Amino acid sequence: MAIRPRHPNKEIEAAVEYATRCGWRRAKATGHAWGRLLCPWNDKECRCGTFCQISIWSTPKNPENHARQIVRLIDGCARLTEVRAEKPGEYNG
Amino acid sequence: MDNFDFVLNFTLPPGFDSPDAFVDALFEAGCDDATVGVGLHGMIGLDFTRSAASAEDALRSAVRDVLRAIPGAILVQAGPDLVGLTDMAEIFGFSRQNMRKYAVGGKAAFPQPTYLGETSLWHLAEIVAWMRENTSVRPRDDIFEVSKAAAKINFETEQRRVGRILALA
Repeated sequence: MAIRPRHPNKEIEAAVEYATRCGWRRAKATGHAWGRLLCPWNDKECRCGTFCQISIWSTPKNPENHARQIVRLIDGCARLTEVRAEKPGEYNG
Repeated sequence: MDNFDFVLNFTLPPGFDSPDAFVDALFEAGCDDATVGVGLHGMIGLDFTRSAASAEDALRSAVRDVLRAIPGAILVQAGPDLVGLTDMAEIFGFSRQNMRKYAVGGKAAFPQPTYLGETSLWHLAEIVAWMRENTSVRPRDDIFEVSKAAAKINFETEQRRVGRILALA
């Protein structure tokens, strides 16, 4: 697997690292976006699929809030919640 | 000024197929306080943390920003408003089983759902008020305020939708 670039902000980098440990991959993006994070399950019944891919800013208004949003969106994945219940100790980030 | 956490979902007009085409516009329009979900073609979800004088100001200014970035986008839903037991449990930090106990077995009558079905749905604002009245749980004020503002905005959205429904042939 290709080594992903680090996010310049340490809170966001920690959130992206958490995403990686939960199985999310990073895809390239352009402009103000540092990249996109892709959910490994990509279940279109979870939140209608809108949050199966999330765009990560290079310079959000408030990096701490952006980091919290990223973690919240990962934890809000219906499939991740199921997997954590079935296999305790795995996908805990 | 307080911080309010909320989610807005929009359908996109034709021509907004690639996120690269509109994500930058959202940033420029002031949505750099939201994380944008682009997992579904033709839709976006935005998870905001917005500082504003009131929850309603936060939500309405966010809707305006999105519409400025993507003219023709249509607001589908604002949240947190309609919630199931699992959502409530997550918001209040309970297990789903515990939340169920409040809903079905409590001493004080739990608020009526707004949708009764296999998965019933409640308005979060009513649940927050009930929790304050009947339990030792003290949900954050900003959650209460934002859930009321989201209910108001969703009502307006529904009103427009029902107008379209009644006009169906």
